Amino acid sequence: MKKRRIHVFGVIGYLVLILVMLLVVMPLLWMIVSSFKSDAEAIKWPPLFFPTQWLTVQYEYVVKTIPVLQMLGNTVLFAAGVTVISLFFDSMAAYAFARMRFRGRKILFSIILLTMMIPFQVVMIPLYLEEFHLGILNSYPGLILPRAASAYGIYMLTSFFTGVPKSLDEAARIDGMGEWKIYSRVILPLSKPALVTLGIYHFMNNWNDLLYPMMLTTSVEMRTLSAGLAILVGTNSIKIGPTLAATVISVAPLLILFLFGQRFFMEGIATSGMKE
Amino acid sequence: MKNESTGRKKSSSRFHNQKSAYLFIAPSLAILTVFVFVPLFGAFGISLMNIDIYMNDISFAGIKNYLKMFGDARVGNATFHTLYFALLEVPLQVLVALVLVMFMTKNTRFHKLLRTTFYLPYVCSMTAISIMWAMLLNANYGMVPYLLGKVGIQMPNLLASVDWAMPTVILVTVWKGFGYTLTVLSAAALGVSHSLYEAAELDGANGFQKFLYVTIPGIKDTIGFCVVTTLIMSLQVFDQIYVMTSGGPQNSTETLVGYIYNRGFQTAPYDLGYASAIAVYLFLIIALITFVLRKYAFNQGGGEE
Repeated sequence: MKKRRIHVFGVIGYLVLILVMLLVVMPLLWMIVSSFKSDAEAIKWPPLFFPTQWLTVQYEYVVKTIPVLQMLGNTVLFAAGVTVISLFFDSMAAYAFARMRFRGRKILFSIILLTMMIPFQVVMIPLYLEEFHLGILNSYPGLILPRAASAYGIYMLTSFFTGVPKSLDEAARIDGMGEWKIYSRVILPLSKPALVTLGIYHFMNNWNDLLYPMMLTTSVEMRTLSAGLAILVGTNSIKIGPTLAATVISVAPLLILFLFGQRFFMEGIATSGMKE
Repeated sequence: MKNESTGRKKSSSRFHNQKSAYLFIAPSLAILTVFVFVPLFGAFGISLMNIDIYMNDISFAGIKNYLKMFGDARVGNATFHTLYFALLEVPLQVLVALVLVMFMTKNTRFHKLLRTTFYLPYVCSMTAISIMWAMLLNANYGMVPYLLGKVGIQMPNLLASVDWAMPTVILVTVWKGFGYTLTVLSAAALGVSHSLYEAAELDGANGFQKFLYVTIPGIKDTIGFCVVTTLIMSLQVFDQIYVMTSGGPQNSTETLVGYIYNRGFQTAPYDLGYASAIAVYLFLIIALITFVLRKYAFNQGGGEE
């Protein structure tokens, strides 16, 4: 009796999991295979899941008619630029907070943590005006600079650096190393997994962001994929087929990155729920 | 004499150490000051001004923009839809994740594959996911109405319906986000001590009872953390609505962020002062909720501090 109850629970669970897995995979698969359909098949009724003929016309069309490659370039430059600079600045600040003693350490750390509580939507209008006055609206510096340091990154790396044994930098100090050398030659190499996890977090968030790049760019040539796509779809200025191709172009790089380095995507957030 | 000189040397090296600490922090602090703190105070300032996107005729408005909010039905409408979205989306996302966690408490290869699969939508941008679902749900060529039609369910044109647009947007958001919650929750669930499960088994608990009486109490702090972070995110909802409905039909999916964007950047006279006043209002709502729920957001790992 008891055994059968457990068995039933397991079977129901198995069915639910398979069902949800299909619900997740099928739409994504549909999106990818549909980008290889002809215009007629993309809006055919009754709809077909797979194309009868696998065509690349939508990709050719979308590359020719909208600057999707330029947008891809912008997205790479924006996301990678933010990631590299922010990792550098975040880790520097985190090094000071975790390994050095100085006046105002606690209060400065609290102030930085406080910025995590401020929603972007509240600061977006002043940010827009500020960039307008600085003359960096619609430019790469205008996109990258406001994201060049992150409170979350500083917080995460500070707790990671705090866990690195103190004896390591004491030994380095006896060898006559300065703070900069200890940071760059001792702490950073030891923190590669944390840096990769944070780097992927920054890269993914900025790659996928919509409102921020949409507001700070005014010309089509400066748009990121996410912003460019949303605007094209919003103005109904693009057909189904090309939209699908452009959408696949926008998600493929991250999906490929995820399939190779999923550990780094998921580990960071798995531990975010049980900090300390 | 000798003593004094070593003393001075020591303090000067400490001073040097302090100075380099500030240099390490300086870049981040400068960025956060210029691009977060200044704009934060700016938001309050701008909300007290008459200012549009062309920045001609800037003048002091006092609390005019705030008074205007009270007479603006769209602010009330947007507040309602923001809360409607948050109060349905958050419990649903956490519940879906919890139910799935209940069935995947083991770290087998199959469960790992599932976790990876469920995480896939979270990696894609909300823009892409929204475009995809708008197509799948389209009444003229969409796969979903077709499949439901085959089993005899006539589906209304969801995203064009005043009653159905918001629930649809909520479901798409849950579809994209539950994998994130699930990853966080299942990491916590795997950390629940095995001996507790064994003890429950000895007491004759079945799978569901073990989940209810062992797993849930074991991860309740993490559940709280998920609820609060998802709630704060959902009060800022924008992307999926912008792409799928642009706030329509008849403003039935317009949220506060959407309305701020609309007033400031989409419709003439691009009233940045008024948009800022609404942004300050949203900030106060989020700050209040964060403050009330702070112990769930920050008090992790069993009641320290």
